[in-house]
Amino acid sequence: METRTVGPLLELNKAVPSFEESGLPPLPFSMKLMPGDCVVVEARSASRATMFADLCCGLVPLEEGAVKFMGLDWAELHDRELNALRGRIGRMTRRPSWPEFLNTHLAITLQQLHHTNRPLDEVVAEAARLGELFGLPGLPVLPPSRLSDVDLLRAGCVRAFMGRPRLLLLEDPLEASPVDLLNPFLSAITEARDRGAGVIWLVRGNAVWQGYRQGITSLWRLADDGLVEVRTA
Amino acid sequence: MSACSVGVGIYEQSFRGKRGVSSEEIVDPTVQNDASVRRVLLHLVLPFGALILVVGSIAAIGLHSYRSTRAGVVALTHELLGAVQRNISQEVSDYIMPAVAGNTIASGMIAHAPTQVVDRVFNSYGAAMLQSVPQLQSFYLGDEEGHFRLITRGPDGTNQERTTFEVHDGKQVYHREFFTDDGVKTGEEYTDATGYDPRKRPWYTDTEDQTDTQWTQPYLFPASRQFVMTSSLRFQGANGHTYVFATNISLNELSTFLDHLKVGKTGNAIILDSKGRVIAGRNIMQQAEAAGWDSEKMVLDPKTHPVFARGYDHYRVRGFGPHSFELNNKRYVTIASPLKNSAKGWILLLSAPENDFASFARQSSQQSLQFAGIIIVFSLVLAGFLVRQVRRSERMARKLTQQGMQIAHESAAVQQVASTPSLFDPTAEPLVLTEQLAHVTNARRASIWRLLYDGAAIICEDSYDQKEDTHSGGFEMSRTELGGLFSSIESGDVLNVPNAATDERTTQFERLVMRELGTHMLAVYPIQGPKGIVGAVVLEDAAMVPHVVYFVSLMASIAGIRLVETGQDAGGALTLPADEVPGAMAIAAPRAEPSFDNMLVRAPGGAVSSGIYPSVAVLVITFSDPVVDGETQTHALLDLINQLATDVQRISRERGLFAVEVAGHRMICMAGCTQEEDPTAIIRVADAALTMRETFMAALAAADLEPVFAMGLDYGAAFGGAVGEEPKVFNLWGQTVSLAELMAQGVTEGGTIQVTDRVYQALRDRYLFRSRGTFYAPHLGLGRAYVLAARR
Repeated sequence: METRTVGPLLELNKAVPSFEESGLPPLPFSMKLMPGDCVVVEARSASRATMFADLCCGLVPLEEGAVKFMGLDWAELHDRELNALRGRIGRMTRRPSWPEFLNTHLAITLQQLHHTNRPLDEVVAEAARLGELFGLPGLPVLPPSRLSDVDLLRAGCVRAFMGRPRLLLLEDPLEASPVDLLNPFLSAITEARDRGAGVIWLVRGNAVWQGYRQGITSLWRLADDGLVEVRTA
Repeated sequence: MSACSVGVGIYEQSFRGKRGVSSEEIVDPTVQNDASVRRVLLHLVLPFGALILVVGSIAAIGLHSYRSTRAGVVALTHELLGAVQRNISQEVSDYIMPAVAGNTIASGMIAHAPTQVVDRVFNSYGAAMLQSVPQLQSFYLGDEEGHFRLITRGPDGTNQERTTFEVHDGKQVYHREFFTDDGVKTGEEYTDATGYDPRKRPWYTDTEDQTDTQWTQPYLFPASRQFVMTSSLRFQGANGHTYVFATNISLNELSTFLDHLKVGKTGNAIILDSKGRVIAGRNIMQQAEAAGWDSEKMVLDPKTHPVFARGYDHYRVRGFGPHSFELNNKRYVTIASPLKNSAKGWILLLSAPENDFASFARQSSQQSLQFAGIIIVFSLVLAGFLVRQVRRSERMARKLTQQGMQIAHESAAVQQVASTPSLFDPTAEPLVLTEQLAHVTNARRASIWRLLYDGAAIICEDSYDQKEDTHSGGFEMSRTELGGLFSSIESGDVLNVPNAATDERTTQFERLVMRELGTHMLAVYPIQGPKGIVGAVVLEDAAMVPHVVYFVSLMASIAGIRLVETGQDAGGALTLPADEVPGAMAIAAPRAEPSFDNMLVRAPGGAVSSGIYPSVAVLVITFSDPVVDGETQTHALLDLINQLATDVQRISRERGLFAVEVAGHRMICMAGCTQEEDPTAIIRVADAALTMRETFMAALAAADLEPVFAMGLDYGAAFGGAVGEEPKVFNLWGQTVSLAELMAQGVTEGGTIQVTDRVYQALRDRYLFRSRGTFYAPHLGLGRAYVLAARR
């Protein structure tokens, strides 16, 4: 089911988001993310960062332009294909995204169980392995509300890197996180990029990603004047 | 992997494939349902829709044709029946005419004859008519004075009898004279006729006040089986007398005529009077017999004449003309018409099954249906061909698309290989080659093998398992193990085996290598070097291999360049196995005993026996990797580490721990390594852990460092013992050790002690714990994790 081996992984082609729906400036957004790229997008506003990630996922209606993921225009797909395509995105978001009716282990494995026919044991083993990588003693089985903030953050990392996401939309997981999360996080990003995933790392300030400066493909800034590329030294 | 590794040295790496997966994904977003709907429309609905249209058109045309033909046939039938009816009318008219015309002629002759010759005229006329007209039976002549004269045939139908009503001696008698047909008198007799008065007979009375011919009701003569009726005409003679001349005519001949008449194939005709009584028709005598020789009762019986009865009913309701109706699932046509020149109110009724006339139309329809059937079958076959052709075209188009995608895929794979740094560097792993080979050929496993020792052995440079996404390598096999495969590789020919287990060249390879994965198909591509074959590319269960020969050859060439480089780097070391190199044994000579071992606190030697210890407490302390910059920092760090180690030794001795092992950035402290259960071990280790934490915190803070350590504690059964030569080293294995390590790895923040549920259960009365939650780990199941905070 390999869809695409060449060309941009994510392409924002003069995409003008609907201001009413998203609050993003109604300006044309253009960006190309190639497989293996890691793009840092600085956005001071957390809600704006979340909306930008929504825009990349095809969740924000456009007034003009197109957003294509793996060569497929979000606007041209039907629900079934849309959902399948979103199943290839690993996402960490500031917006509360843990379902209260499921325990954490189910919430983590749900995406893989829904979108793939991988055996349960394999999915659980991967989740446990990632849990260990991100500093959990196993796969958390309590409801998300009963986990500490830090453990929930670790569980969020596990959820985002589950399966083999082709695109990672990471809304600054390192902010206010324990120091020991940095290395596993960067290691997971690097591994994902090695196998061809693209990463959009949304940050509030430039301090967080400085340790990974050499690995960054490009730096962008999301502000009132739209999405602007920033030249780095 | 070392290029000169000998024996079995396996490494595994968790490098992920470059492909985005995924055969595991359920929905392929690139496939739109619209396409398949369109395909179904194009492939099935369109041809079969067209076919149904064709069939419908044929059926409609057939129906229309059938209806028009049928209407034509009905019209033709009516016309035919009309012609038959006219013919019969004429026949009946001709049949009756002698009676009607005879009356007129005879009356004319008698009226103008003198009285003396009236008898002679009557007899002459009657004799002549009886001889020439067979249906005429007799003639009567009567007058108003009661005279009566009769001429008739003999009982056998020949000769004649002339009867005169006379009075002899006041007695009324019939004077009968018998003549031959030639007029020779053969005898006479007198019979009693008392009471007979011709003026009271119906043939006489019917003519009163009438000037034209009158008909009586038919009447039957059972003796002669004759069905007769009389026509009579009243006229005035020249002598002033009033005469009535009557003619008896037999209807038997008419019935015989109708009996022999064919209407269509099986139809027939009947003559009825105005009251529905049968005058003439088929089997008239049987009907008369059934009616008791009473003509009044000879009406149409629906049981014996169902078709005529129904036809007569139609006539009564709808009048004269042709009528169609269905009876007993069969269609009939009848025609009712008045008979001219006959008695008043006679009706001719004809009936025939429609089939008699329309059978050719039915045959024609059947033929049309058969033709339509043949056309439909042909159409079906053509539609089938069309569907097949369309599907074939579609398949070809799909195949072309697939080929296009395959080429793009191959190009991408080649680009991926080409962009790999140090592709030809023998010291770098050639992982990309096997990965791309496996992805493009869709092989379960792809491996690159290199010949060693001038072809005496072969070693796996790299093997990539696509499903597991793992690399392995380093296994070596000798020619004696895989003789057939070696020969095949050295021959330089590509080997494709659908089932490696049954081919003698690959049986051994299948048993040693493939059986582990359960693969069956094997493809071996020899790798050509400048000096001959240097190795082989081996693909297992590679379904796409026949289509990507070019790509595999390309990869094999790249692998060849690498293998040559690798062989050169290895130099002569690979020409012979290590154990055959002179002086090699000297390397294995015993070294000096090491000055250090890895035990900070040594286990009491000899005091403890190896085996399973039921209640071991294990504390694992991990430190983050230190970052040092410059010699000064290194020395400072080493001093710090030394101080920490000394503290650990001190605390361990104070708490009576069994042993403390150092391994890299980990320390493993253990207590309770005794055959008997030691309930104090966990308490001692927990105390030690808390004390160590305090000490480490203080020491690290003094060195201006973050608490870069984490502790994990578990308690339970483990097994261990002293290993190696003196001084032996004590080591401990088991789930307790693994869990303690897992706890140390998974701490929430630096400087905390994470413990398992078992530790919590054992120590909860003595120490304060904070729950972290429930976690699941494969092979271990569900468990809770706690953070050990302080003593109570």
